[in-house]
Amino acid sequence: MPPHLDDIDMIDRAAGLEPGDPLHSARRFRAKVVEASQASHDALLLLPVEGLSPADRLRVAAHVCHLAGAASLEQHYVERLADAPDRDEPSTPALPATLTFAAALTTDPRLGDRAALQALRDAGLGDAAIVALAQLVAFLSYQLRVVAGLQAMQSAGAGGTK
Amino acid sequence: MSTDAKTAEGVPAPVRRNGFTDETLDWRAWLQPLKLDQASPLQLEVLDESHPQSRTSSYYLTLAHQPLMLRHRSAAYNAIMYAPGGLPRAERELGALVVSVTNGCVYCTSVHAQRFEQLAKRSDTVEQVFDDPRTAGTSERERAIARFAIAVTERPQALAAADIAPLRALGLSDEEIIDLLHAVAIFGWANRLMQNLGEPVSKA
Repeated sequence: MPPHLDDIDMIDRAAGLEPGDPLHSARRFRAKVVEASQASHDALLLLPVEGLSPADRLRVAAHVCHLAGAASLEQHYVERLADAPDRDEPSTPALPATLTFAAALTTDPRLGDRAALQALRDAGLGDAAIVALAQLVAFLSYQLRVVAGLQAMQSAGAGGTK
Repeated sequence: MSTDAKTAEGVPAPVRRNGFTDETLDWRAWLQPLKLDQASPLQLEVLDESHPQSRTSSYYLTLAHQPLMLRHRSAAYNAIMYAPGGLPRAERELGALVVSVTNGCVYCTSVHAQRFEQLAKRSDTVEQVFDDPRTAGTSERERAIARFAIAVTERPQALAAADIAPLRALGLSDEEIIDLLHAVAIFGWANRLMQNLGEPVSKA
Protein backbone atom coordinates (compact mmCIF):
# COMPACT_ATOMS: atom_id res chain seq x y z
CA MET A 1 0.00 0.00 0.00
CA PRO A 2 1.41 3.43 -0.85
CA PRO A 3 2.59 5.41 2.17
CA HIS A 4 0.21 7.95 3.62
CA LEU A 5 1.01 11.45 4.75
CA ASP A 6 0.33 10.51 8.35
CA ASP A 7 2.24 7.21 8.28
CA ILE A 8 5.49 6.80 10.17
CA ASP A 9 8.02 4.29 8.85
CA MET A 10 11.19 3.13 10.48
CA ILE A 11 13.38 5.71 8.73
CA ASP A 12 11.12 8.47 10.12
CA ARG A 13 11.31 6.90 13.54
CA ALA A 14 15.10 6.53 13.50
CA ALA A 15 15.52 10.10 12.19
CA GLY A 16 13.00 11.55 14.67
CA LEU A 17 10.49 12.74 12.05
CA GLU A 18 6.77 12.98 12.77
CA PRO A 19 3.72 13.66 10.64
CA GLY A 20 3.44 17.41 10.19
CA ASP A 21 7.23 17.93 10.09
CA PRO A 22 8.19 19.53 6.77
CA LEU A 23 10.81 16.80 6.22
CA HIS A 24 8.24 14.07 6.83
CA SER A 25 6.16 15.54 3.97
CA ALA A 26 9.23 16.17 1.79
CA ARG A 27 10.10 12.46 1.99
CA ARG A 28 6.62 11.62 0.64
CA PHE A 29 7.46 13.50 -2.59
CA ARG A 30 9.20 10.17 -3.33
CA ALA A 31 6.49 7.86 -2.02
CA LYS A 32 7.90 4.94 -4.04
CA VAL A 33 11.29 5.31 -2.37
CA VAL A 34 9.70 5.46 1.09
CA GLU A 35 7.66 2.35 0.32
CA ALA A 36 10.52 0.36 -1.26
CA SER A 37 12.95 1.25 1.56
CA GLN A 38 10.53 -0.08 4.17
CA ALA A 39 9.71 -3.13 2.02
CA SER A 40 13.44 -3.85 1.63
CA HIS A 41 13.90 -3.68 5.39
CA ASP A 42 10.99 -6.06 5.96
CA ALA A 43 12.08 -8.53 3.25
CA LEU A 44 15.73 -8.58 4.28
CA LEU A 45 14.92 -9.27 7.92
CA LEU A 46 11.75 -11.37 7.81
CA LEU A 47 11.75 -13.56 4.70
CA PRO A 48 12.83 -17.14 5.30
CA VAL A 49 16.47 -17.71 4.31
CA GLU A 50 17.94 -21.19 4.54
CA GLY A 51 20.75 -21.15 7.12
CA LEU A 52 20.24 -17.57 8.35
CA SER A 53 17.33 -17.05 10.75
CA PRO A 54 15.54 -13.71 11.24
CA ALA A 55 17.03 -13.46 14.75
CA ASP A 56 20.55 -13.95 13.41
CA ARG A 57 19.93 -11.30 10.75
CA LEU A 58 18.79 -8.92 13.50
CA ARG A 59 22.04 -9.69 15.35
CA VAL A 60 23.98 -8.82 12.20
CA ALA A 61 21.98 -5.59 11.77
CA ALA A 62 22.51 -4.50 15.38
CA HIS A 63 26.24 -5.24 15.07
CA VAL A 64 26.54 -3.24 11.83
CA CYS A 65 24.70 -0.22 13.28
CA HIS A 66 26.82 -0.39 16.42
CA LEU A 67 30.06 -0.38 14.40
CA ALA A 68 28.77 2.46 12.22
CA GLY A 69 27.73 4.51 15.25
CA ALA A 70 24.12 4.64 14.05
CA ALA A 71 22.61 4.76 17.55
CA SER A 72 18.90 5.07 16.78
CA LEU A 73 19.03 2.25 14.23
CA GLU A 74 21.05 0.05 16.57
CA GLN A 75 18.36 0.55 19.20
CA HIS A 76 15.67 -0.37 16.65
CA TYR A 77 17.38 -3.67 15.76
CA VAL A 78 18.15 -4.53 19.41
CA GLU A 79 14.48 -3.99 20.27
CA ARG A 80 13.33 -6.04 17.28
CA LEU A 81 15.65 -8.84 18.39
CA ALA A 82 14.19 -8.78 21.91
CA ASP A 83 10.74 -9.35 20.36
CA ALA A 84 11.80 -11.88 17.70
CA PRO A 85 9.92 -15.19 18.04
CA ASP A 86 13.13 -17.14 17.31
CA ARG A 87 15.42 -15.14 19.63
CA ASP A 88 16.03 -18.06 22.01
CA GLU A 89 16.81 -20.61 19.33
CA PRO A 90 20.49 -21.42 18.82
CA SER A 91 22.31 -19.15 16.38
CA THR A 92 23.73 -20.54 13.19
CA PRO A 93 27.30 -21.85 13.59
CA ALA A 94 28.08 -19.42 10.75
CA LEU A 95 27.24 -16.37 12.92
CA PRO A 96 30.88 -15.41 13.72
CA ALA A 97 31.74 -15.57 10.01
CA THR A 98 28.69 -13.47 9.09
CA LEU A 99 29.63 -10.82 11.68
CA THR A 100 33.20 -10.68 10.34
CA PHE A 101 31.91 -10.30 6.78
CA ALA A 102 29.37 -7.66 7.83
CA ALA A 103 31.99 -5.63 9.69
CA ALA A 104 34.37 -5.53 6.73
CA LEU A 105 31.62 -4.69 4.26
CA THR A 106 30.31 -1.88 6.45
CA THR A 107 33.68 -0.36 7.28
CA ASP A 108 35.24 -0.35 3.81
CA PRO A 109 33.61 -1.65 0.64
CA ARG A 110 37.08 -2.22 -0.85
CA LEU A 111 37.87 -5.00 1.65
CA GLY A 112 35.75 -7.63 -0.09
CA ASP A 113 37.30 -10.41 -2.13
CA ARG A 114 36.65 -13.94 -3.28
CA ALA A 115 38.21 -15.33 -0.08
CA ALA A 116 35.66 -13.48 2.07
CA LEU A 117 32.82 -15.27 0.26
CA GLN A 118 34.65 -18.59 0.49
CA ALA A 119 34.91 -18.11 4.27
CA LEU A 120 31.12 -17.82 4.42
CA ARG A 121 30.73 -20.99 2.33
CA ASP A 122 33.23 -22.79 4.57
CA ALA A 123 31.14 -21.71 7.57
CA GLY A 124 28.16 -23.49 5.99
CA LEU A 125 26.22 -20.79 4.13
CA GLY A 126 24.88 -21.47 0.66
CA ASP A 127 25.01 -18.94 -2.14
CA ALA A 128 21.39 -17.82 -1.64
CA ALA A 129 22.09 -17.13 2.06
CA ILE A 130 25.26 -15.22 1.13
CA VAL A 131 23.25 -13.05 -1.28
CA ALA A 132 20.72 -12.35 1.49
CA LEU A 133 23.51 -11.44 3.92
CA ALA A 134 25.28 -9.15 1.42
CA GLN A 135 21.98 -7.44 0.52
CA LEU A 136 21.17 -6.89 4.20
CA VAL A 137 24.54 -5.38 5.07
CA ALA A 138 24.66 -3.24 1.92
CA PHE A 139 21.08 -2.05 2.58
CA LEU A 140 22.09 -1.00 6.11
CA SER A 141 24.81 1.20 4.59
CA TYR A 142 22.03 2.92 2.61
CA GLN A 143 19.58 3.12 5.47
CA LEU A 144 22.02 4.57 8.00
CA ARG A 145 23.09 7.25 5.50
CA VAL A 146 19.51 8.26 4.74
CA VAL A 147 18.76 8.52 8.47
CA ALA A 148 21.95 10.53 9.15
CA GLY A 149 21.24 12.88 6.24
CA LEU A 150 17.67 13.50 7.40
CA GLN A 151 18.92 14.19 10.94
CA ALA A 152 21.38 16.75 9.52
CA MET A 153 18.58 18.37 7.51
CA GLN A 154 16.38 18.45 10.61
CA SER A 155 19.14 20.13 12.62
CA ALA A 156 19.56 22.71 9.85
CA GLY A 157 15.99 23.90 10.49
CA ALA A 158 13.27 24.65 8.00
CA GLY A 159 14.31 24.65 4.38
CA GLY A 160 12.61 25.53 1.13
CA THR A 161 10.10 23.38 -0.66
CA LYS A 162 9.03 23.27 -4.28
CA MET B 1 44.19 13.50 -22.63
CA SER B 2 42.34 16.76 -23.29
CA THR B 3 38.60 17.26 -22.95
CA ASP B 4 38.22 17.50 -26.68
CA ALA B 5 40.27 14.45 -27.60
CA LYS B 6 38.51 12.52 -30.37
CA THR B 7 39.36 9.44 -32.31
CA ALA B 8 39.71 9.59 -36.09
CA GLU B 9 36.00 8.76 -36.45
CA GLY B 10 34.97 11.78 -34.39
CA VAL B 11 33.86 9.64 -31.44
CA PRO B 12 35.04 11.09 -28.10
CA ALA B 13 38.09 9.23 -26.79
CA PRO B 14 37.49 7.24 -23.61
CA VAL B 15 38.30 8.89 -20.29
CA ARG B 16 40.85 6.73 -18.44
CA ARG B 17 42.44 8.01 -15.21
CA ASN B 18 43.55 6.62 -11.86
CA GLY B 19 42.33 3.13 -12.72
CA PHE B 20 38.83 4.39 -13.67
CA THR B 21 37.30 4.43 -17.14
CA ASP B 22 34.06 5.49 -18.81
CA GLU B 23 34.27 2.52 -21.18
CA THR B 24 31.74 -0.32 -20.91
CA LEU B 25 32.97 -3.14 -18.63
CA ASP B 26 31.74 -6.63 -17.87
CA TRP B 27 31.32 -8.03 -14.36
CA ARG B 28 32.14 -11.56 -13.18
CA ALA B 29 30.36 -13.11 -10.19
CA TRP B 30 32.27 -14.91 -7.42
CA LEU B 31 29.12 -16.87 -6.51
CA GLN B 32 27.20 -19.13 -8.87
CA PRO B 33 24.66 -16.95 -10.74
CA LEU B 34 21.16 -18.34 -11.21
CA LYS B 35 20.82 -20.40 -14.38
CA LEU B 36 17.92 -19.10 -16.46
CA ASP B 37 16.57 -22.57 -17.25
CA GLN B 38 16.27 -23.20 -13.51
CA ALA B 39 14.62 -19.84 -12.70
CA SER B 40 11.17 -19.79 -11.09
CA PRO B 41 8.38 -17.66 -12.60
CA LEU B 42 8.89 -15.18 -9.74
CA GLN B 43 12.63 -14.95 -10.42
CA LEU B 44 11.98 -14.25 -14.12
CA GLU B 45 9.36 -11.64 -13.28
CA VAL B 46 11.68 -9.82 -10.88
CA LEU B 47 14.60 -9.97 -13.33
CA ASP B 48 12.43 -8.36 -16.01
CA GLU B 49 11.23 -5.57 -13.72
CA SER B 50 14.77 -4.87 -12.45
CA HIS B 51 16.70 -4.02 -15.62
CA PRO B 52 16.18 -4.50 -19.40
CA GLN B 53 19.30 -6.70 -19.75
CA SER B 54 19.11 -8.54 -16.45
CA ARG B 55 18.51 -12.01 -17.99
CA THR B 56 22.05 -11.88 -19.39
CA SER B 57 23.66 -10.03 -16.48
CA SER B 58 25.76 -12.04 -13.98
CA TYR B 59 25.06 -9.36 -11.39
CA TYR B 60 21.25 -9.56 -11.61
CA LEU B 61 21.33 -13.34 -11.98
CA THR B 62 23.34 -13.53 -8.74
CA LEU B 63 20.95 -11.23 -6.86
CA ALA B 64 17.98 -13.23 -8.26
CA HIS B 65 18.82 -15.98 -5.74
CA GLN B 66 16.69 -13.78 -3.42
CA PRO B 67 14.01 -12.51 -5.80
CA LEU B 68 11.86 -10.57 -3.32
CA MET B 69 14.90 -8.81 -1.87
CA LEU B 70 15.94 -7.91 -5.43
CA ARG B 71 12.40 -6.72 -6.23
CA HIS B 72 12.36 -4.10 -3.46
CA ARG B 73 15.98 -3.06 -4.10
CA SER B 74 15.17 -2.48 -7.77
CA ALA B 75 12.00 -0.54 -6.93
CA ALA B 76 14.02 1.76 -4.65
CA TYR B 77 16.90 2.09 -7.11
CA ASN B 78 14.74 2.81 -10.15
CA ALA B 79 12.62 5.39 -8.29
CA ILE B 80 15.72 7.10 -6.90
CA MET B 81 17.67 7.31 -10.16
CA TYR B 82 14.95 7.61 -12.84
CA ALA B 83 11.78 9.20 -11.38
CA PRO B 84 10.87 12.50 -13.07
CA GLY B 85 10.91 15.88 -11.29
CA GLY B 86 13.02 16.92 -8.34
CA LEU B 87 16.79 16.99 -8.71
CA PRO B 88 17.87 16.83 -12.38
CA ARG B 89 18.89 13.29 -13.31
CA ALA B 90 22.39 14.34 -14.39
CA GLU B 91 22.98 15.62 -10.85
CA ARG B 92 21.76 12.35 -9.31
CA GLU B 93 24.24 10.58 -11.63
CA LEU B 94 26.99 12.96 -10.50
CA GLY B 95 26.26 11.99 -6.88
CA ALA B 96 26.36 8.27 -7.83
CA LEU B 97 29.63 8.79 -9.74
CA VAL B 98 31.38 10.62 -6.90
CA VAL B 99 30.37 7.93 -4.39
CA SER B 100 31.52 5.14 -6.72
CA VAL B 101 34.96 6.76 -7.20
CA THR B 102 35.25 7.45 -3.46
CA ASN B 103 34.43 3.81 -2.69
CA GLY B 104 36.77 2.59 -5.44
CA CYS B 105 34.01 0.78 -7.37
CA VAL B 106 35.44 0.65 -10.89
CA TYR B 107 32.40 -1.06 -12.41
CA CYS B 108 29.78 1.37 -11.01
CA THR B 109 32.05 4.26 -11.91
CA SER B 110 32.15 3.22 -15.58
CA VAL B 111 28.36 2.92 -15.80
CA HIS B 112 27.57 6.21 -14.07
CA ALA B 113 30.30 8.16 -15.86
CA GLN B 114 28.56 7.13 -19.09
CA ARG B 115 25.11 8.04 -17.76
CA PHE B 116 26.32 11.47 -16.66
CA GLU B 117 27.95 12.06 -20.05
CA GLN B 118 24.76 11.03 -21.86
CA LEU B 119 22.56 13.32 -19.77
CA ALA B 120 24.94 16.31 -19.53
CA LYS B 121 26.37 15.86 -23.06
CA ARG B 122 29.93 16.51 -21.85
CA SER B 123 32.73 14.66 -20.05
CA ASP B 124 34.71 17.47 -18.37
CA THR B 125 33.16 16.83 -14.94
CA VAL B 126 33.85 13.09 -15.25
CA GLU B 127 37.55 13.78 -15.90
CA GLN B 128 37.69 15.96 -12.80
CA VAL B 129 35.96 13.34 -10.64
CA PHE B 130 38.39 10.66 -11.82
CA ASP B 131 41.30 13.02 -11.00
CA ASP B 132 40.04 14.03 -7.55
CA PRO B 133 36.40 13.96 -6.45
CA ARG B 134 37.22 16.32 -3.54
CA THR B 135 37.88 19.25 -5.85
CA ALA B 136 35.73 18.14 -8.81
CA GLY B 137 32.94 20.19 -10.38
CA THR B 138 32.69 22.68 -13.23
CA SER B 139 30.34 24.95 -11.24
CA GLU B 140 29.69 25.87 -7.62
CA ARG B 141 26.62 23.64 -7.75
CA GLU B 142 28.56 20.59 -9.01
CA ARG B 143 31.26 21.14 -6.41
CA ALA B 144 28.65 21.32 -3.62
CA ILE B 145 27.02 18.09 -4.86
CA ALA B 146 30.40 16.31 -4.96
CA ARG B 147 31.37 17.49 -1.47
CA PHE B 148 28.02 16.40 -0.02
CA ALA B 149 28.34 12.97 -1.69
CA ILE B 150 31.78 12.46 -0.13
CA ALA B 151 30.61 13.60 3.32
CA VAL B 152 27.64 11.20 3.30
CA THR B 153 29.89 8.38 2.12
CA GLU B 154 32.82 8.89 4.48
CA ARG B 155 31.36 10.34 7.68
CA PRO B 156 27.61 9.76 7.85
CA GLN B 157 27.46 10.05 11.65
CA ALA B 158 29.24 13.43 11.56
CA LEU B 159 26.80 14.99 9.07
CA ALA B 160 25.52 18.28 10.41
CA ALA B 161 23.64 21.44 9.46
CA ALA B 162 26.90 22.78 7.99
CA ASP B 163 26.75 20.03 5.33
CA ILE B 164 23.22 21.05 4.32
CA ALA B 165 23.77 24.83 4.28
CA PRO B 166 25.78 24.98 1.00
CA LEU B 167 23.04 23.07 -0.85
CA ARG B 168 20.31 25.33 0.49
CA ALA B 169 22.39 28.42 -0.31
CA LEU B 170 22.45 27.25 -3.94
CA GLY B 171 18.66 27.10 -3.92
CA LEU B 172 18.07 23.36 -3.59
CA SER B 173 14.68 22.57 -2.04
CA ASP B 174 14.34 19.92 0.67
CA GLU B 175 12.85 17.56 -1.94
CA GLU B 176 15.94 18.02 -4.13
CA ILE B 177 18.34 17.54 -1.21
CA ILE B 178 16.49 14.32 -0.33
CA ASP B 179 16.81 13.20 -3.98
CA LEU B 180 20.56 13.75 -3.74
CA LEU B 181 20.76 12.02 -0.36
CA HIS B 182 18.90 9.01 -1.76
CA ALA B 183 21.15 8.80 -4.85
CA VAL B 184 24.28 9.04 -2.74
CA ALA B 185 23.07 6.60 -0.08
CA ILE B 186 21.89 3.95 -2.54
CA PHE B 187 25.38 3.85 -4.02
CA GLY B 188 26.60 2.90 -0.56
CA TRP B 189 24.34 -0.12 -1.19
CA ALA B 190 25.10 -0.72 -4.89
CA ASN B 191 28.89 -0.34 -4.63
CA ARG B 192 29.07 -2.83 -1.78
CA LEU B 193 27.25 -5.51 -3.79
CA MET B 194 29.31 -4.92 -6.94
CA GLN B 195 32.61 -4.90 -5.03
CA ASN B 196 31.91 -7.83 -2.75
CA LEU B 197 30.02 -10.35 -4.91
CA GLY B 198 32.30 -10.18 -7.95
CA GLU B 199 34.70 -8.08 -9.97
CA PRO B 200 34.86 -5.95 -13.13
CA VAL B 201 36.47 -7.41 -16.22
CA SER B 202 37.33 -5.81 -19.55
CA LYS B 203 34.93 -6.44 -22.41
CA ALA B 204 36.14 -9.34 -24.52
